[in-house]
Amino acid sequence: MTDGRIVVDGRPVEFEAGDSIAIAVVRAGEVPGRGGALCLAGDCGNCLATVDGVAYVRTCQVAARPGTVIERHPAVGKPPLPTVDLRDLARVPAAVEISVNRLRTDVAIIGGGRSGSAAAREAEAAGRDVFVLDGRDGNEVAGIYPGPAIVARSWDETLEEMLHLEADEIVVATGAAEIHPVCPGSGLAGIVTARAAEQLTAAGIDLGRTVLVSRGPIRFEGDAAGRVAAVVSAGEDGAEVTEPCDTAIVDLGRAPRDLLARMTRDQGVTAVGSAADDHPLPPAPTSGVVCPCMGTTVDDLAGAWDKGYTELELLKRASWAGLGPCQGGACLPHVRAFIAARTGTVPDPFTARPAARQITLAEAAADTTIDAFRQTPLHDEHVALGARMDRFGGWWRPWHYGDVVGEYWAVREGVSIGDVSTLGKLIVSGPDVIEALERIYPCHVADIKVGRSRYALLLNERGHVMDDGMILRDAETRFTLTFTSGGAANAEMWIRDWVETWGLRVHVMDRTMSLAAINVTGPFAKELLGRLGLADPPRFLGHVRADIAGVPCHVMRLSFTGEAAFELHHPIDGSVQLWRALMSQGHDLGVRPHGLQALFGLRLEKGHVIVGMDTELDSTPRRLGMDWAVRMEKPAFIGRGSLERTARLDDERRWVGFAMDGEAPVEGSPIRSMSDSEIIGNVTGSWTSPLLGKALILGWQRYGRFDDRVEIDGREAVVTPTPFYDPEGLRARA
Amino acid sequence: MLALEPLRGLRVVASAGALDAAVWSGDAVTVVRFAPDEAFGIGSTAVDVDDPDAVVEAEAGFVGARLERFQVSVDLAAHTDWVLPDEPAILAQGKIAGVPVKLLTGEPALLITQAAYADELARRLDCIE
Repeated sequence: MTDGRIVVDGRPVEFEAGDSIAIAVVRAGEVPGRGGALCLAGDCGNCLATVDGVAYVRTCQVAARPGTVIERHPAVGKPPLPTVDLRDLARVPAAVEISVNRLRTDVAIIGGGRSGSAAAREAEAAGRDVFVLDGRDGNEVAGIYPGPAIVARSWDETLEEMLHLEADEIVVATGAAEIHPVCPGSGLAGIVTARAAEQLTAAGIDLGRTVLVSRGPIRFEGDAAGRVAAVVSAGEDGAEVTEPCDTAIVDLGRAPRDLLARMTRDQGVTAVGSAADDHPLPPAPTSGVVCPCMGTTVDDLAGAWDKGYTELELLKRASWAGLGPCQGGACLPHVRAFIAARTGTVPDPFTARPAARQITLAEAAADTTIDAFRQTPLHDEHVALGARMDRFGGWWRPWHYGDVVGEYWAVREGVSIGDVSTLGKLIVSGPDVIEALERIYPCHVADIKVGRSRYALLLNERGHVMDDGMILRDAETRFTLTFTSGGAANAEMWIRDWVETWGLRVHVMDRTMSLAAINVTGPFAKELLGRLGLADPPRFLGHVRADIAGVPCHVMRLSFTGEAAFELHHPIDGSVQLWRALMSQGHDLGVRPHGLQALFGLRLEKGHVIVGMDTELDSTPRRLGMDWAVRMEKPAFIGRGSLERTARLDDERRWVGFAMDGEAPVEGSPIRSMSDSEIIGNVTGSWTSPLLGKALILGWQRYGRFDDRVEIDGREAVVTPTPFYDPEGLRARA
Repeated sequence: MLALEPLRGLRVVASAGALDAAVWSGDAVTVVRFAPDEAFGIGSTAVDVDDPDAVVEAEAGFVGARLERFQVSVDLAAHTDWVLPDEPAILAQGKIAGVPVKLLTGEPALLITQAAYADELARRLDCIE
């Protein structure tokens, strides 16, 4: 009685009501996977196929439905990844939205059989909330996570969703799996477990001549089509006995189906019933494929063993046995038996990993969210000005406004404004604040006068540069600290942790998202600010409080662009008003905003480092050529000991400047030796300087190969001292 | 769309004892204790805090929305990986829909986030009117 047709490798295949895909394929006289013993219980990987575009699906666990498209995996290798032709975006599949049902319960029971039902009754009798999950009822568990928590695929007639279930206790009552055979020929088609044979017979499928194999066979023999043709086993007298067959039915014992219980060591996860029973292991395998998923043979196990991988978890990793989709469902008893035969001790089972059932990326990611990127209060202003916005350092930032070179010239020759609201900003205050900052920073702090500021690196205990920024003294015992946009959160935690560790009396307030900041920079910056009320601008590295365009500002005089620059830190609710006032009052001065791309070029001409972009995790001040920012005469600061020790050693890395003719090479380009073309470094920043008319580069030289001339992008580049522009810093101080 | 309104007031970092005893002035001040040493007095215009090194700053960097009980228990809970508290006057802090927020429970509850996250939070909680 045909109930419909599925499509297998492009050919229609009839199925009957109640058929799984695997049974429908067997009914058609074919093999659902690559061959090997079929358990039809979801325990092994021998029926894996691609179903409706999703690879590695256990076809024995999926009901056949009209029109389902099945593609069997290739005999060797992996199924092809889905491909997307980026030239034809119209054909890119639409994003799949899958909802998540979040629930919590006292006791979650996986498996609705005898043991599971008993556990449910017991928990309910104790007055606890119970949730039973069973694949037959539409709740297929994919994994157990610490918490403990369950992730399951859940469905009914109308809805398919993911279930995220938290529980105080999880009971795994999933019964026992049947042991697969391991011997030559075990990968042939036509081998089924005893329970699978029952299912197939119940489905009305004629198994032909059958042979029941209840002890380890010596081998299976196959026909030309790759189907089992005979079972060879040891007779009573030890001689080989060959029994011809169409189907070999293996009944070799049971193993706990405890895959889910092996996913976490949480106290609240227990196995019960057959899933917890101590079933006898099969005889140690002597030849054949142990792990059908990964193709691991007994010889592979022995080879890894001989190399010293004699502990189960190590043997697993060295041989790959158990790393496949079934996570040891088929091979684990055999691998344990392999070790037990050599050591006399049965090892505990190895850890299993989610997912126990194939889930798609969409299902795994259902209702998860990527990091939220922040917007400055000027976001809409940037968009209105035609900015191309991009994510950078955890924020949406204007990359450019359509004319990078024009933005650059506005800074160098006129006046420009930039949104630097994203900078980290802390206020620190208290009687021990100087003590704390002297210990945290490698520069002097106590001698910074009120109203003055100092550039500072932030080092970790290893003397590696974590971040940089400014230290501004607001009062005798109060400072404002600034940090990079991307490093601000980490810097805040760093300072809080140390202050608490040292037990110092210092208050810390994070103002990063409470204050916006606009950088007004260029030769006419002072003129523009004067028009808006800044009558007495601070000199270089000074800072003052002033109302500008009616907005209370903390005005900081510093420079990242190489020109005179004033950062106006102000409450975010005054930001738009201030921005618009600067734009309107600077109209005749040619004011225009600059984006990050121009800013990066401007700073590159000055050789300023961008921590996180130019630096690596182990960049020291010396490697960056920034020893001047470290005062080793200080008795103590974080990282000092490491710097003192490493200063006695030769260093093999330097971050330096290069110049070359033509267009700038792309960032990340390799830097090669001119003599042997070996890669000796990489470009971290590059810029075709409109003013200097050549490509300027910042990058690393490694391996102690500090050549004066190198090859970048197939061209010669010359190591050049930085700053490339205004080395005396006269313009910034103007 | 979730209507997140600016929250203005004073933010104070001071010793815990001084904050416990602080006297806040203003109309309908709601004091949200972010940490033992940090509080945000929403609606406050002045604060008397007995700590000479206290940091007291005008604050405009937060936005908030008042939510009914069902909006918390249904709409917010559906976007939350952790258990939202039921008891009144509890400040819960964590991520909802992947966005850092603070939730002051009550009738109504007050959902707070930084203004920099306002658009993103409103977009992600588009189930809330």
